Amino acid sequence: MNTALPFLFDLLSYTAVFVLVVLGLGVIASMMGIFNFAHGEFLLLGAYSVFFLDQMGVPPSIGIICAPLIVGLIGLVIERFAISRFYATPVVAMLGTYAIGLVIRESVRTALGGQFHTVEAPLNGTFSIGETSISQWRTFVILITIALLFGCWWLFQKTNFGLKVRAAIENPMLARSSGIAVNQVYSITFAFGAALAGLAGALMVPLYPLNADMGVTFLIKAFLAVMLGGLGGLQGSVAGSTLVGVTSAALPWFIKPVVADMMVFIIAILVVKFRPDGLLSRRRS
Amino acid sequence: MSGKKKNDGVDSNSRRIFTQRTSLMAGLVALGGGSFLMQPEGAWAADPIKVGIATDLTGPISWAGIVNANVAKMVIAEINKGGGLLGRPLQMVLEDTASNEQLAVTKVRKLVSQDKVDVVLGGVTSSMRNAIKDTIVNRGKTLYIYPQLYEGKECTPNLFCTGPTPAQQCDTFIPWLIKNGGKKFYLPSADYVWPHTLNDYAKKVIKANGGEVVGEEYFPVDHSEYSATVNKIMTSGVNVVFNTTIPPGVGSLFKQLHEAGFGKKGGRLACVYYDENALGITPANEIEGLATCLDYFSAINDPMGAKIFNNYKTLYGDKSRFCAGGAGTGMWRGLMLWAEAVKEAKSVKRDAVAAALDHAKLTDGPGGGCEMVPGTRHLKMNMYIAVSKGGQYNVVESSKMVLPGECA
Repeated sequence: MNTALPFLFDLLSYTAVFVLVVLGLGVIASMMGIFNFAHGEFLLLGAYSVFFLDQMGVPPSIGIICAPLIVGLIGLVIERFAISRFYATPVVAMLGTYAIGLVIRESVRTALGGQFHTVEAPLNGTFSIGETSISQWRTFVILITIALLFGCWWLFQKTNFGLKVRAAIENPMLARSSGIAVNQVYSITFAFGAALAGLAGALMVPLYPLNADMGVTFLIKAFLAVMLGGLGGLQGSVAGSTLVGVTSAALPWFIKPVVADMMVFIIAILVVKFRPDGLLSRRRS
Repeated sequence: MSGKKKNDGVDSNSRRIFTQRTSLMAGLVALGGGSFLMQPEGAWAADPIKVGIATDLTGPISWAGIVNANVAKMVIAEINKGGGLLGRPLQMVLEDTASNEQLAVTKVRKLVSQDKVDVVLGGVTSSMRNAIKDTIVNRGKTLYIYPQLYEGKECTPNLFCTGPTPAQQCDTFIPWLIKNGGKKFYLPSADYVWPHTLNDYAKKVIKANGGEVVGEEYFPVDHSEYSATVNKIMTSGVNVVFNTTIPPGVGSLFKQLHEAGFGKKGGRLACVYYDENALGITPANEIEGLATCLDYFSAINDPMGAKIFNNYKTLYGDKSRFCAGGAGTGMWRGLMLWAEAVKEAKSVKRDAVAAALDHAKLTDGPGGGCEMVPGTRHLKMNMYIAVSKGGQYNVVESSKMVLPGECA
């Protein structure tokens, strides 16, 4: 059996999932300067929405479309009532979002009775290339991730809304005096980031069992990716998550998985040592 | 004048808020943050016997802890309905150890020194047992019953284990796997004490039966991607994947094995903790043919097991089921054996109860009766091998009164 193809597909598929997870976190962190510790729980909410709708008889394909809308809406409410009070104090924001995350996580845990659940993928099967069987759903996730990356790039670089968002980050005072409703822009950006997390969770739930801690697993590495990429732009987060995703997926092929897990962090620390402002910092300085 | 009036208003208002807050605080203090007192129903003349339950109602281990607490509530209510023990009712003091060992030590210290419970049951993971046992048994001088299947080697005096041991889960199971799977084993495992110790035992049994371990790999406990391992399994002609990776990661491992065609090519999945609640982790078709070896399955359909199973379902719904792996059966046996021992000892004093518990016996229970092997503080019990088919377990082999092989 050929090893190269499964290896490459694995790299691509894990990196795609990981970029998907980091994207929403990156949007909120780089656009608003808020380190959203509830990001993992937004992901969880996305996954839970699909499961919940599935239980109600709604097919997962529809559930996956609804999930980002539901989580985006929840994000909007949370931004209005909690996050909007934290903009001046980023450290308090971290603690606040951590608390919000904890409440969401334990509520979902209660709703699930602490058990693990599964949702059938809308595309449930494999196709073969040579002797290698490739998962259809993972392929779909890769394609969606690529599409989303282009979508986000277009949204933030090419649209009027993107211009307002970038103006609001660059100089909130000037943006405000130029007639941009900065608070509204922040609300929408946060809701958008939450919706991205919801979508990531919804796409992931056929791959990983649904349980209250599914978001936590990814959160630390996701923050690592944002840190690696540097703040200030979405490209940084994407570059950071690609690096973390590729190393996380590739290393277990060559070294012991337990060591691989540590190596990811060691490599990241080395990168930060030589590029303290992030992988793509050159562009902004 | 108006100023005074306004002041009055503020005063009465803040007084009301003060009263509200104090009563709220008092309520919270009474609850004690995750601690629950279950008073026995009805009127009792005698003081209650206190049963301490320390288990993970929240956090990652709550999938087992919730079942644990439910079973304890059910059994204690039943004992009380039947007249209690020694003419005294049982009172359950439940502490949520929140899947957190440091917190748990504080909680069990409260159980033994403040509540002065007569026995403590609980703890799911081995790390939890190791964290709390000294506080209960040595410093607290209280009896401790550990209900979960585990890696063995726990020989602390006054600590009784009521779940299956590696010998019980491997001795009949591995020869069966070699006969119904093949000789080449791969051992993907989570990196903590249970998989390491269980694998050491399993490897001996595999070799003794003419099998071969092709690979043994340890992953961080929260690992979720297994492509590299799946590729190694698929390329090295493995017949049996003897898995000890844990939820939720285990779901992706099984899914990826399924997608790579492991089952289609005749491979056999085996996982000794995979009880009926775990069947929900992956879609049924992905673990078709998965084999496990546990002390109880609802498919055994023994009258006692069915009665407990249905009783549990009526009380707690079907979010989680009464089953073996999450220490459900271990908790049931632990409480019932302890009750028998108290009756025999005619006392709740630790030494007297421990002496009686050392040879305690239940003629019936979920999956059949069980009996302490004197001097070992472990149980011999019936073990069953089951294979999953269409999301259900079918029992394919049963062994009577398998010895625990511990502390002898």
